[in-house]
Amino acid sequence: MRIIPANQILIQNVLLIDPFSPWHRQYVNLALEQGYICQVSPVEQDLQISLQNFRIFPANGLSMTIGWFDLGAHFQDPGNEHKETLTSGCQAATQGGFTEVALLPNTQPVIAHKQEVAYILQHNQPSQIVKVHPLAAVTQDTAGKELTEMIDLIHAGAVGFTDGSKPLWNTDILLKTLQYLQPWDALLLNRPEDTWLAQLGQMHEGIQSTFLGLKGIPALAETLMVERDINLLRYAGGKLHFTQISASDSLPLIAQAKQAGLSVSADVSALHLTLTDENLHQLDTACKISPPLRSHIDREALWQALANHTLDVICSGHHPQDEESKNLEFDLADFGAIGLETFFGSLNTYAPQWLLEDAMLAKFTSAPRQLLRQPLPALREGEKANFTLFDPQKIWTVNEQTIFSRSKNSPFWGQQLQGKAVAVCHNGLWAELD
Amino acid sequence: MKHLLGIQTLDKTTIELIFETATEFKNVLNRPIKKVPSLRDITVANIFFENSTRTRLSFELAEKRLSADVVNFTASSSSVKKGETLLDTVNNILAMKVDMVVMRHASVGAAQFIADRTAAQVINAGDGTHEHPTQGLLDAFSVREKLGEVAGKKIAIIGDIMHSRVALSNIFTFLKLGAEVRVCGPATLIPRHIAALGVSVSHQVQETLAWCDVANVLRIQLERQQIKYFPSLREYAAYFGITKAMLDNLNKPIVLMHPGPVNRGIELSSDAADSPHSIILDQVENGVAVRMAVLYLMAQYRDKILAVSA
Repeated sequence: MRIIPANQILIQNVLLIDPFSPWHRQYVNLALEQGYICQVSPVEQDLQISLQNFRIFPANGLSMTIGWFDLGAHFQDPGNEHKETLTSGCQAATQGGFTEVALLPNTQPVIAHKQEVAYILQHNQPSQIVKVHPLAAVTQDTAGKELTEMIDLIHAGAVGFTDGSKPLWNTDILLKTLQYLQPWDALLLNRPEDTWLAQLGQMHEGIQSTFLGLKGIPALAETLMVERDINLLRYAGGKLHFTQISASDSLPLIAQAKQAGLSVSADVSALHLTLTDENLHQLDTACKISPPLRSHIDREALWQALANHTLDVICSGHHPQDEESKNLEFDLADFGAIGLETFFGSLNTYAPQWLLEDAMLAKFTSAPRQLLRQPLPALREGEKANFTLFDPQKIWTVNEQTIFSRSKNSPFWGQQLQGKAVAVCHNGLWAELD
Repeated sequence: MKHLLGIQTLDKTTIELIFETATEFKNVLNRPIKKVPSLRDITVANIFFENSTRTRLSFELAEKRLSADVVNFTASSSSVKKGETLLDTVNNILAMKVDMVVMRHASVGAAQFIADRTAAQVINAGDGTHEHPTQGLLDAFSVREKLGEVAGKKIAIIGDIMHSRVALSNIFTFLKLGAEVRVCGPATLIPRHIAALGVSVSHQVQETLAWCDVANVLRIQLERQQIKYFPSLREYAAYFGITKAMLDNLNKPIVLMHPGPVNRGIELSSDAADSPHSIILDQVENGVAVRMAVLYLMAQYRDKILAVSA
């Protein structure tokens, strides 16, 4: 990875994909100066500026979208910096093609006060190509009992509220949060899982768990909570986002709520779109994630739900765990898999053409920004450069050279994937990726 | 056979080879001199992270009858979790030049974990709620001995199916050998998707006894239940326990099995356990012969590998 100032760089022959740009789906040359897009022109025309001293980057027909945005990653900093730090996580994000990442609050301490929000925000320096956005906890210690000072947290810079990997099990807390946040138009994100039905569960409850004799986590644990949460939303009003939907039975519930006009949205992780519980047949702990990888029927339904806009966002599901937490007996291993670097490659390997449609690309570019009310970059002259350049054909291997996360718990370790981000530009910096 | 990690990955031919070999060893065990030199140069470690008396004893006897050098290691899984990892513990033992590991552990896949990461040949003596392959083999061997063959027989497995590694290994073994299998117990103790394995499901013990040729009654494993699955042992005994009167009322021969140790008065009444229907002690006897057969076949594999590399 090489990072230089995004100054005097000419990107030649790139397929620009941005429905808000006049150059949408056209092959263009694009010039950068002082971190801004200074000129765009069709490949057959010459640029109207002097290109003396410009660094030429021949894109040779590669694609460009606005910078990718991850709606929910664990960086484990503060507290578990041996698994991931803000710096290593941002490197992993850059390598994966992301220019902005919203961080889940499940750190030690939890992101629940303005000083913790400030700790996250202080990482957004001029030297950082990736911008981190703190999501703050709904409850103290994410224990689901005492509300955090959410207005204070909004003023401190929190972009949304969630207990992250901890579901809001207390109905009254969820109700009050929906009510309390309404005047601020802030987004509440909740992981739908009934903690009683999921207790001691190790993987998706299905044929595979029966073969392995492992305690399953039924899809019902998710759908019950989706249904409950939608009822609470209908009663209280406000905005609710479901994180990491994994079960097909949750999808009609979300679709119906949307039809009924409720402000509900949902995301799915790239891991759940590319893997299933069958990947666990050799008890690979890298595939032990929460919510669990479900059946291939669920996986197909999740893709369909993206296509029909029941699901709004694809997130990375990035959850780093060190070797000491993973190279263990299956039931003792921690949940989680890294996902930032393999995000695009895994999705594009699984659904090559589908992913490149505008509506799909929006799921990790414009949609998460709109949900968190973050400014939408544009690929037009005069705009600050915030984009990702990617090669849908590039074959690469997931290994020490391509993974920058401090943790190596990838289900795709050693595998070849097709499709990769090759360069990103943001915050006045330009990175050419390995 | 390099390892014996589970029955699910074993083919019918191998199972039958184990049975033929076990038959030979059973003859040996009934001779005045019960020892053969087959494993003379081999050191076996019995590593038990969970309490076991009979399985460990059965393996140890099998190893000694085959002239292996035997070492035993017993520790509770929880104490190991706090200190040394499983992999370190096993590697330490292997560093002392142990050839084969017989391991029982509370985690699913623990035997596979060791087989994947060390050079030892591994026998799974029970991995959590997953498999207990030698128990599956000795149960089928005992049925074969009693009824002539396994194919076509109706086998009922009764009790806590969810937490029993014996249940899964039994299901795989009996199905591979062509038997019909039914599981029976309280609905909370039967995995939701168990029928996908090719078994039928019942919650009525009397009806299941009337259906089957063989009833394999499992031990109620309260220690492996971290969640309450039924209200009380009293109620379990009253509605799912088997008595001699129930067996006598069937008016047909039935083979009664139990992997031991029996909770007398809970899943089996004493008079049922001690009745002529019961082959519980034959199972124990066959256990040694079947484990000898497994060890012997694994040693053969080892010899072949050594011959190739020499």
